[in-house]
Amino acid sequence: MLVSLISHLAMYPQFVIEVIYFGIISVIVAFIVAFYILTQRGGREVEADGGHEGRAGMEKGERNWMLFLFSVALIGNILFLSPILPSARNALYEPKPATTITIYVKNYSFQLPETPIIIPANTPVEFVVISEDLVYGFGIFRKDGSMVFQMQVVPKPYVNRIVWVFEEPGAYDIRSTEYSGPQHPWMFVPDAIIVEGGKS
Amino acid sequence: MNEDERKILALRFVVVALIFFALAGIEGILMRLRILNLLTDLFDERHFYSMMTAHPFVGIYGWAYMAVMGAFYFLVPYVLKRDIYSKRASYASFWLMISGLAIIWTTTFVTHYAPLYTLYWPIPVAVELAGWNPAAIFSFGVGVALVLAAVLVFFFNMFATIFLPARVEMNGGEKVGAGYVFKELMLTAFNLDKLWAKVRGIPHYTARVFNYPVFVVSVFRGCVDTTLNALVIGGVGVLLALFGAAHLFSGSSLSYSLIDPLVYKNVFWWGLDLIADGNVLIFTAGTWYLLVPLLLNRQLYGESVVRTVILADLVVSLFVWNHHMLADTPQPLVLQIQGQIFTWGELITMGLTMFAVLATIWRARPVKYSAPLKFVLVSITGYAIGGLAGIIQANYASNRFFHNTQWVIGIHGHIQLLVGLSLTIFAAIYALFPLLTGKALNEKLADAHLLLMGVGGVVMGLAMGLAGTQGMLRRTLYPMGLGIYEPYMGVALIGALMMAAGFAVFIINVVRTVGLGSLVKLFLPQK
Ligand code: HEM
Ligand SMILES: [Cu+2]
Repeated sequence: MLVSLISHLAMYPQFVIEVIYFGIISVIVAFIVAFYILTQRGGREVEADGGHEGRAGMEKGERNWMLFLFSVALIGNILFLSPILPSARNALYEPKPATTITIYVKNYSFQLPETPIIIPANTPVEFVVISEDLVYGFGIFRKDGSMVFQMQVVPKPYVNRIVWVFEEPGAYDIRSTEYSGPQHPWMFVPDAIIVEGGKS
Repeated sequence: MNEDERKILALRFVVVALIFFALAGIEGILMRLRILNLLTDLFDERHFYSMMTAHPFVGIYGWAYMAVMGAFYFLVPYVLKRDIYSKRASYASFWLMISGLAIIWTTTFVTHYAPLYTLYWPIPVAVELAGWNPAAIFSFGVGVALVLAAVLVFFFNMFATIFLPARVEMNGGEKVGAGYVFKELMLTAFNLDKLWAKVRGIPHYTARVFNYPVFVVSVFRGCVDTTLNALVIGGVGVLLALFGAAHLFSGSSLSYSLIDPLVYKNVFWWGLDLIADGNVLIFTAGTWYLLVPLLLNRQLYGESVVRTVILADLVVSLFVWNHHMLADTPQPLVLQIQGQIFTWGELITMGLTMFAVLATIWRARPVKYSAPLKFVLVSITGYAIGGLAGIIQANYASNRFFHNTQWVIGIHGHIQLLVGLSLTIFAAIYALFPLLTGKALNEKLADAHLLLMGVGGVVMGLAMGLAGTQGMLRRTLYPMGLGIYEPYMGVALIGALMMAAGFAVFIINVVRTVGLGSLVKLFLPQK
């Protein structure tokens, strides 16, 4: 169970995040429903209007809530900056790339150095993507449609680069992840990348 | 203007806003069908993307802004017990907004100009590559500039209404100019007078902002964000108009490279996020702080904290824009990390806002829920689930696989806008309706409206979000077939139709209560 969760976190971090997210929003919705029911029941009538002084400092409950929010923000930042996610490992703690693949984008089409691009598994690969004209996106997808990673392609004079380590062998598609005009939906190159070796 | 004139002004704004809401909804449903690869004979990709360009302008400026403007033109004088500064400016903002939107809508509809509202440089001016008509670039730019001019006129009118009378009293009726309004605004919006008092060692100084009710504080703090936003987005409109005009005159396009695409994108998102992450949350908070105590006849819980939170939101909103650029690898890493950390600050400001509202309700037990109060409660739920999705995607590492997927625009964007923001606007409409018309709307129909819109919005948003984690991109048609995304888009369509049904119930409620005739009469010259 734990092992499958961790391996999922490596391959499909978005699914793990989604499960956690749905857990939290279920709690939120349940809380609001309970709040709606409970607040219609009696309370202490004594505390009539003016029971609370407007300019007084923080109440204890409010202070505790604020401390809780601060801790969540702190823990959240630490977790997302830590190398748990593959994207953090490859972006913030960038491994030294073994090869570089340079791709040009021009007039709504990707110009690949070879088709398909052959990449060894478990090896850091640097993608350099250069747009000659418009803003595009560069996304790599598995055959089941799920996204491995993406980046924006800001046009020249900027150079867009990312390092990635592929763990699963197989074929991958390239798709532009940014709208750049009505021709955008056709910026799709199926089986553009083949990852070889590694665990199967 | 007297109170009756202000009521008519407010109602005119709200009715036009509701018409824009309906228009945005129709566009939304048509686009949903097209994404399912239906109606392909009726409209091609160019038409689809031009509709997608008009849609956020109609929805955000036509619906949300116009409704908020109408409500504030009535509420700010009502709360401060004074008149609007200028009637002419009020109507100028009304007509500028409508004509700007009409130009944007007509341009995209007729020419199929489709840069989308993000307007990433140089897509909007790529005449040859994308096949735009240069005249369309010009008129679209003019439309955008007019819309934001309307916003500027509205906010200067608001600032003058809030700050001018105070000044007149102070100076014994002597006339003072715009400089005073600006100074007063900056001092109170950022609590600078308090800071100054601290520097000079004045003890027990009460900040001047305490002279104003919380609602008014949120109005002028929100207006600071919105004014800066209007300058940036209006500036982009002017830029496009200039490029379009230059092309029309010289017959060829200016060089794109006059503008740096990355700097442009930073400026654009800095300006745009002042609304999304700043103003929306501040205005919403202000509206809750006004409505909830009024409806419950209680004082707001923790008012001083609430004022601080509004200020914090204003400051935070100036530093969060980078969360829209986390996938831009040429962007400096310092900005990426800074954007991530500041965005988590919104968890704290939003969390405290919700706490104050819920605590106010809790202290008023036993509560009898009227329609507006129920709308506020569901709106809070909407902001909670949409805001959480926002925080999740706002991290440098996680954005790598959330950016530009349906998650961003579904589970986050549309739940924030349709369940969070829109339900708060409807709460204000339900609460103001008796004040403006003397009649109350039916509560049973209001319940049906709330249920259909709240559930429909969440269903649509979650379905889009789930497709997003499976890899479905936003703004992308799948002409070769939707594949595994198809069932999600089917469910999203059901959610959209539920919302449309909810809106229809609302319209029936309004027409039943006041009659169609009085709605039409509202737009005739008043005797
Ligand atoms: C808790 C507060 C919020 C947070 C943390 C937050 C975070 C974010 C982030 C990180 C993005 C960029 C995602 C990406 O493109 O990869 C985003 C986009 C967006 N947000 Fe928010 N947001 C918040 C509040 C709001 C509010 C109040 C609204 C609207 C009422 C809103 C509407 C949108 C929309 C429409 C987009 C899509 C923008 C686009 O076209 O790219 N957000 N938000
Ligand atoms: Cu934002």
